[in-house]
Amino acid sequence: MELSIFIQLLVLGLVRGSMYALMGVGLSLIFGIMEIVNFAHGELFMIGCYLMYFVAAMLGLPFPVGIVASGMGLLIVGIILERGLISTLRQKAGRDWLMDSFVLTIGLMVIFQNLALITFGAIQRGIPNLVSGQMTIRGVVFIYDHLVILGVALMTVGVLWYFIKSTSLGKAIRATSQHSEAAQTLGIDTGKMYAIAFGIGAALAGIAGALLITLFPANPNAGMGPVLKSFVVVILGGLGNVKGAVAAGILVGLLEAFAMFFLAGGWQNVIVTSIVVAVLVFKPAGLFAPAGERP
Amino acid sequence: MTLEIKRVTSGYIKEVPVLRDVDLTARAGALTAIIGPNGAGKSTLLKTIYGYLHPSAGDILHHGKSITGLKPDQMLGEGIAHLIQGHSVFPAMTVQENLELGGWVIKHDQKVLNAALAEVFDHYPLLREKRKMVAGALSGGEQRMLEIARLTMTRPRTILIDEPSVGLMPMLVDTVYEEIVKLKKQGFTILIVDQKVHKALDVADYIYVLRLGQNSHRGPREKFAGGIEEIIKEWI
Repeated sequence: MELSIFIQLLVLGLVRGSMYALMGVGLSLIFGIMEIVNFAHGELFMIGCYLMYFVAAMLGLPFPVGIVASGMGLLIVGIILERGLISTLRQKAGRDWLMDSFVLTIGLMVIFQNLALITFGAIQRGIPNLVSGQMTIRGVVFIYDHLVILGVALMTVGVLWYFIKSTSLGKAIRATSQHSEAAQTLGIDTGKMYAIAFGIGAALAGIAGALLITLFPANPNAGMGPVLKSFVVVILGGLGNVKGAVAAGILVGLLEAFAMFFLAGGWQNVIVTSIVVAVLVFKPAGLFAPAGERP
Repeated sequence: MTLEIKRVTSGYIKEVPVLRDVDLTARAGALTAIIGPNGAGKSTLLKTIYGYLHPSAGDILHHGKSITGLKPDQMLGEGIAHLIQGHSVFPAMTVQENLELGGWVIKHDQKVLNAALAEVFDHYPLLREKRKMVAGALSGGEQRMLEIARLTMTRPRTILIDEPSVGLMPMLVDTVYEEIVKLKKQGFTILIVDQKVHKALDVADYIYVLRLGQNSHRGPREKFAGGIEEIIKEWI
């Protein structure tokens, strides 16, 4: 294989992978701290798409404003959902609330999809590109949009990483995920930590939706593809393992990019799904699970 | 009088109180032990004091101020710390991060926090040595030490301890009790619940016996010196 093709595939894989990582990290963060599997994660992505469309296409503001608006908007949506519905359920449903939370997030998925259908109709609303154009270096094509996606995604993960690792709020969130009862006795308002974590997870999905609007135009079902991919990422990376989700996201992106080049279309899904099955059988804690560690 | 529980009735369901009219006083600077058979309501009493359960009647005072109805995450701010049952370190975080989180309620003042950290390290030199290790890699006894040290970061006045010997090797139980006695010498007021009656009796200044959710006996340790076997027999 020529080096230029290899690098081209590497770039394409990284772009895809950075998106999967962004979605997977959000899902994993929420699971890691609350043990909720958020089936409505794709719909948060979808809302991010619409927010981006509204800000960039309808208001005509520069696209970075749209990305920030999607992130902030979904942060607020996430906090409202957690405070309004999930924490209420946790307090009322008692021990079986986890099962109930599945039903809740599946319900949210259906409601959001149909609300979007009623409000916006079954029309695709896309933006042709964020930054038009491309450049070619030694036979490798760099589409500017892809570089934007990769850059913003890496920056977002970096900021999240710093926040979780080094700020006192981030440490309190990690403490809550590792031992919520102990965190509470130390004066940490664990309910608040759940809301913040859910909000951050939602914001990551929103940013992913905003970034991908050139590839996935806003429509009521826009989230269904990405959410499936993020479940794949979360299984490979280990449920609740944020570091693992980043690595697994990039791995899946690279696998797909190379598989699509060398094999007929559709095989990329077969390969990735086979790996998921193998991981579930042989390494159910995920490919990147250091012994006993969670986010 | 540090911690006063006044005629408290409490339980998990309103119609079925586990505790009825329980009175208890933990004296300042003393170690008070609550003993009693299984189901006597010892843990329920601790849960009620710490705000996990809210009493349907009665009042709980800490240094004269009512703390009834406060939430668990508000207690440390009131000067009451709680060592919960079982392991409670944050396993994937370092020893130092664990201790810093112990200072969560004083985190707005970095100077105070640093001074508290230095003081805790002085009391527990082993933790200073291992401050960069993740807590999950410590031995069981070291984890317990970290849990106890973590509670002292904010210099609370009162420490509630729930079943400190549960899940520990017999050899470690002695070590943990040594740590608890050290806490008492540092001037903390301690209220302890333990199934291991004799272990608690060895270190307690004052003892309360609960039975079926009510006060049954109380008094300074000397009063129980010969009679504890009689009381235990009553339970069976």
